[in-house]
Amino acid sequence: MARPAFHRRLPATLESVEELAVALEAYAEEAEIDMAVAARLGLVVEEIAANVAMHAAGATYFTLDITPSDDALELLLTDDGPAYNPLAREEVDTETALEERDVGGLGVHLVRKMTRDARYERQDGTNRLSCSLPLGS
Amino acid sequence: MEISETTEGTKTVAVLDGRLDTATAAQTETALIGLLAKGGVIADLANVRYVSSAGLRVLLKAAKQAKTAGSTFAVVGLQAPVREVFEISGFDKIIPAFATRAEAAAA
Repeated sequence: MARPAFHRRLPATLESVEELAVALEAYAEEAEIDMAVAARLGLVVEEIAANVAMHAAGATYFTLDITPSDDALELLLTDDGPAYNPLAREEVDTETALEERDVGGLGVHLVRKMTRDARYERQDGTNRLSCSLPLGS
Repeated sequence: MEISETTEGTKTVAVLDGRLDTATAAQTETALIGLLAKGGVIADLANVRYVSSAGLRVLLKAAKQAKTAGSTFAVVGLQAPVREVFEISGFDKIIPAFATRAEAAAA
């Protein structure tokens, strides 16, 4: 049986990030997604959406589309905030000692490590971030 | 996030129940930093099935605060998805994690 797709368009607020988390838990159950993958899905979406809600002054909405393929969930997140490429951030050094460890950049680091082919585009006044979340654990 | 407080040996145990994410980070940070003023803290995450980068930042701040104060901060009871997030972030190397409160208290 083919897995269902998912689409939401929500105001760019932190309340929406929470609403999305709840909706994704229901989606993961309906789509019979493995628990480990469901946890990564929730995390990747929160990291990107929270970034928009907290930092993109001027964004009024964001959207999330999930399109299942054979072995992955294809994710597309868009927002109408100012042009911003989260993937341009420098890699986090996970070997740094506690004292020097910086608190920033962890969200994007998690997105990069948990997904494949993360890509950013600016198109028609919207930020478009796409990536592929493997279904196998 | 529900946070309750108990003790194990000489250390305070913060028992966290809920998601440690963007929505609950500030509240959790205030609670952990407050408890660290009294001495070593063990954060019991057995009922936390989700930690995002906002949650990781809180745990990192607590660990740094403990280090500065010459105290200790450890976590126990990491669920599989939380352990994965810890490992990917390299937090397994900077925040001591134990299976049980007793082990964390003895460390």
